[in-house]
Formats: sequence, C-alpha cells, structure tokens
Amino acid sequence: MQTVILENLSKTYPSGKQAVRQISLSLNSGEIYGFLGPNGAGKTTTVKLLTGMLTPSGGCCSVLGTDPALNPAKTHENMGVVTEHAQMYDNLTGFDNLIFYASVFGIASEEGKKRADTLLRQLGLWEAADQKLSAYSTGMRQRLSLARALIHRPKVLFLDEPTSGLDPESAQNVNHLIRELAENENVTIFLCTHQLRYAQEICTRFGLIENGRLLASGTLQELQAKTLPGALLKIRADHVPADLTLNRDTDGQYEIKIRSEEDIPAIIRRIVEAGGNIYSAAAKRPTLEDIYFSLTAQKKEEEV
Amino acid sequence: MNQAMTAVIKKDFKGITSNRRLFASLLIVPLALMIILPSIFIFMIHFIPDDPDVQKLLDLIPRLDPSVSIELTVAGLIVNYILPVFFLIIPIMAASIMAASSFVGEKEKHTLETLLYSPLSAGQIFRAKVMASFLLSMTVSMISFLAMFAVVETEVFFLMGSLLLPDINWLIVLLLLSPSVSLIAITLIVRGSAKAQSVEESQQSAVFLIIPVLLLIVGQFSGVMLLNVWILLGLSILCAAAAWLLMQRALGKFTYEMLLR
Ligand SMILES: Nc1ncnc2c1ncn2[C@@H]1O[C@H](COP(=O)(O)OP(=O)(O)OP(=O)(O)O)[C@@H](O)[C@H]1O
Ligand SMILES: [Mg+2]
Repeated sequence: MQTVILENLSKTYPSGKQAVRQISLSLNSGEIYGFLGPNGAGKTTTVKLLTGMLTPSGGCCSVLGTDPALNPAKTHENMGVVTEHAQMYDNLTGFDNLIFYASVFGIASEEGKKRADTLLRQLGLWEAADQKLSAYSTGMRQRLSLARALIHRPKVLFLDEPTSGLDPESAQNVNHLIRELAENENVTIFLCTHQLRYAQEICTRFGLIENGRLLASGTLQELQAKTLPGALLKIRADHVPADLTLNRDTDGQYEIKIRSEEDIPAIIRRIVEAGGNIYSAAAKRPTLEDIYFSLTAQKKEEEV
Repeated sequence: MNQAMTAVIKKDFKGITSNRRLFASLLIVPLALMIILPSIFIFMIHFIPDDPDVQKLLDLIPRLDPSVSIELTVAGLIVNYILPVFFLIIPIMAASIMAASSFVGEKEKHTLETLLYSPLSAGQIFRAKVMASFLLSMTVSMISFLAMFAVVETEVFFLMGSLLLPDINWLIVLLLLSPSVSLIAITLIVRGSAKAQSVEESQQSAVFLIIPVLLLIVGQFSGVMLLNVWILLGLSILCAAAAWLLMQRALGKFTYEMLLR
C-alpha cells in the first residue's frame, strides 16, 4: 500500500531560495526510506512539507490519503515526527513528558502510562524515567524524542537525523527498534540523514537529493545497476608477472574492474597459472557513498 | 474543550507554578498593589495630623451622607475609585507573564514545534494557550481582590470602627474590565510572539497597556474624571469589543508556517 506520495513537490521560501524542486516519489508501508543528501539539500524542508508545517509552493503530497497542507491535524493522528527542533519540556520528567504527549494524542491515562513504560524500557531510558529532562544528555533526549513520536503507535514515522547524537550501542538499539517497527508493524519510515553508511545499514530504499533535486531513487541494487554497474575485484597477491598489467591501489592490492562475478574465476586462474600467489580476493560492489559521489560528479559535468 | 486541550492548559499552569522566578513575580505585584498600598492609604487617613489646612482640604470632599465620618468617606473614595484602577495592573501583568512564557517561551525552547505535530490544530493550540493565560490571570486577580478586601475591611474596622462596602465599580471591574484587558494583553503578547525571539522582549509589549492604566490612575487622583459607573461600563464594553476583535485577528495569523519562522 502506498502511504506517502509526493507529486512534483516544490517549495520556494519567501527569501527566494528553491529548497525543494519538483520531487516525485512514493513510499510503501513497511518500507524504511532513506532520504539522503548533504547539508542544505532540502531534507528538513521536505519533512516539513510532509508534516504540514509548510505549504508547498508547487505540486502536492499526501500521507495516508490526506493532504498534510490541507488537514495537518488529521494527518498528525497517524504520524510520528522526530526532528532536532522538536524538543520536550525541561521542567518535567521523562515519564511525565510522555504522559503529557499521550494525553495530547487522546490516549486514555492508564493506556498512556503503560505505553510510556514500555517505550522507556525499549529505549533504555527506564532508569532516567523520573529525572527531569534538564538532566538528560543529548543522546537521552534523542531517544526520548523517538519514544514520544511512537507514543500513539503511528503508521508513518518521519525521522530527521535520528541517531546523530547516539553512541554505537544506543544507535544499534534504535536501529533494531526501527527495523522491528517496519517489519512487524508495517510502519512506513521516512529517514533523513547525511550519514550514508548508516543509511545503507538500515534503509530498504533510498532517495538521493542535492540542491532540492532528487538525483536518483531505488534500492541499493537498482542504484548500483543504474549508476555504477559492475564491481571492483581486489586481490592481495605476490609474484604476479608484470605482463599481466594489473593496477595496484595504495595498499599494494591489485584492483580489477569487472562486469559481474562471472569474471572472477578466469582472472584468478590467470594469475595462478602465471605463477602468482593469491592470499585473498574480494569483489567490492559500489557502496551508497560511491554511488552518491558518482551521481553528484555526473550532475556537475552536466552543468558544465 | 477536549482532553488534549485540557492537557495543554494543565501543562502550561504547571510550567508557571514550577518556575520559582515567574511565580515570585506573579506574587509580588498583587502583594504590593493590593495589600501594602491600600494599607498605607488607610493608615495615612487615620493617623493624619489634625492640621487646619488638611482639615480644610478634607472639607472640600463631597459627603453624600453626613452621618458617615470624614475618615470613612475618604477611605471609601480610595477603595472604590482609586484601587480599582490600580487593580487593573494585576490582570495585565499576570496575563503577560503567562502568555509570554506559554507562547514565546515554548517557541524559544523549541517545544512549540513538538506541540504542532500533535493532532491539535493550530487554532486549538491557540485557544488552549489563550485559555490558560486567561484562567491564570483571572485566578490571580480574584485572589488578589479577596485578599485586598479582607485586609482593608480588617484595618478599617479596627481603626475606624465600621465596615466599608465595595460598590458597583468593583463588580464592573472584576467581571468585565479586567477580563477584557487581560485578553488584550494576551493578544498583544501573541502578536508579538511571531517576531519576538525572547520572553523578555515580548513582555515589553505589555508595557503599552500599562500606560493608559497609569493615565487613569493620575486622572482619578487629580479628580479630573472620577469614574462614574456609566463611564466605567462604557470603557469596559469598549475594551471587551477591542479584545474580541484583536483575538480574531491573532487567531487568523496563528499558522504553523508563521510559528516556525
Ligand atoms: N526558513 C527558511 N527560509 C529561507 N531559506 C531556508 C529556510 N529554511 C531552510 N532554508 C534553506 O533551504 C535549503 C534547504 O534547507 P534544509 O533545512 O531543508 O536542508 P537539510 O537537507 O535539512 O540540511 P541539513 O543536513 O543541514 O539538515 C537550505 O539552503 C537553507 O538555507
Ligand atoms: Mg535538516
């Protein structure tokens, strides 16, 4: 089921800045969509459009069948949002904060307490539940924000840099939770980040944006096939005869561009038959980072 | 009024009562204006020296009922004509402090954005917050009035041997004028909250409301315009109309986009 739909969505700020330009894409339920781009690319602006905080200057969008610009209050009923600017109250405890947001979402008091309890435990904040927020660290606040966004069991979750301030253990914890939500509860997750490696780890599909434009969108395999087909074979070997004319990288490993894995046996056989010793061989598919840099380079060439 | 709006109102109340600095400023002004100031007036009237000049001055005061002592007449004038005007400062101050912390304070601390992601519409959030400021302002005003009344009656009774009844002026001020001015104060703060980046900055706009009140006080003392019931009623209705108009305009401007700027 398509839950989030963007059609030629555009936003020009009153200052004249075109932050989002004609973006079209759609998300299915249970999908973790990584919305990736450098600082100032327009990620946060897109989230604000999808959550009804900004009205588009062109095109339209819908979340669960409702246009957030026309009926923001209704879309918020089934939507959870985590952004760095959505803070909670310092003078309340973590638990009381969650209880407050539960009642704002119309959850009955007993039910709200249970839900807050569960979420605090899941996010490793149980010990800090009765501390005032003013005593929370950045990472604790970020995890509490996620708990807040999940309090009403949303069907769509917007996460703007959700793990930027987390230590590796908490980040893993959060990733686990996000994956579980998508897989078991069919929640659609729209995740903005500029950390490409992090995104590759957790997202099922990606959209790369730069300067407000969507450069490409698809699964890792699709993006690899479209922009950087093939792979790089890295071989650590010695006594390789020079007439094989193989390139060496900075670590002294041999690098060979291949079209597919089918090419590998022939190459290895050639080296061995020529008298070389092979210690390791690995085919490296382009990472999201490689794809991203190749796409932005292409873009620059086109502009020149 | 649904559960969510009630939750927002309760939270706003808790925000102000748990902040010691704000709570102290909510207490000090009523204490000064409604307890200390009236007491000074009453003690002054009672212990005034029997100087012939002062006596002549006092004789100028119109005495409706010759059976009532001069002292009591003057005390009555102060309580029913001067204090109601001073009293107006209280709803203005309480409403401004609360509105500034609940609108601008939340914007400053980035908690308003979180509230905007809730299923409450911008209009509902606006109404809940105005309601919180209004309720607090009315509560503080009412308590101040009752405290003032208790203190003044006790003092008058022990010093002058009689009780003073508050007249209809107080009724108009309590039920009509002070609710209207507190709503005006709230709208001024909310209007300013779009631009103001700090709580202090936005509280300054309430000063513009205090100025007419100060003029009224001066007018009352100099006797230029001893407020009669009809003038007071007219003024109250005017303020109520202004409050309603300003409120509608502020509500119209209260949108997500404006708030996140
Ligand atoms: N309120 C605003 N008024 C004018 N321009 C804005 C406003 N907000 C953002 N911009 C501009 O729009 C562009 C996109 O900003 P946006 O915040 O969406 O980027 P982002 O992808 O979230 O970046 P980051 O990774 O730094 O969070 C930027 O060039 C920014 O300067
Ligand atoms: Mg951003």
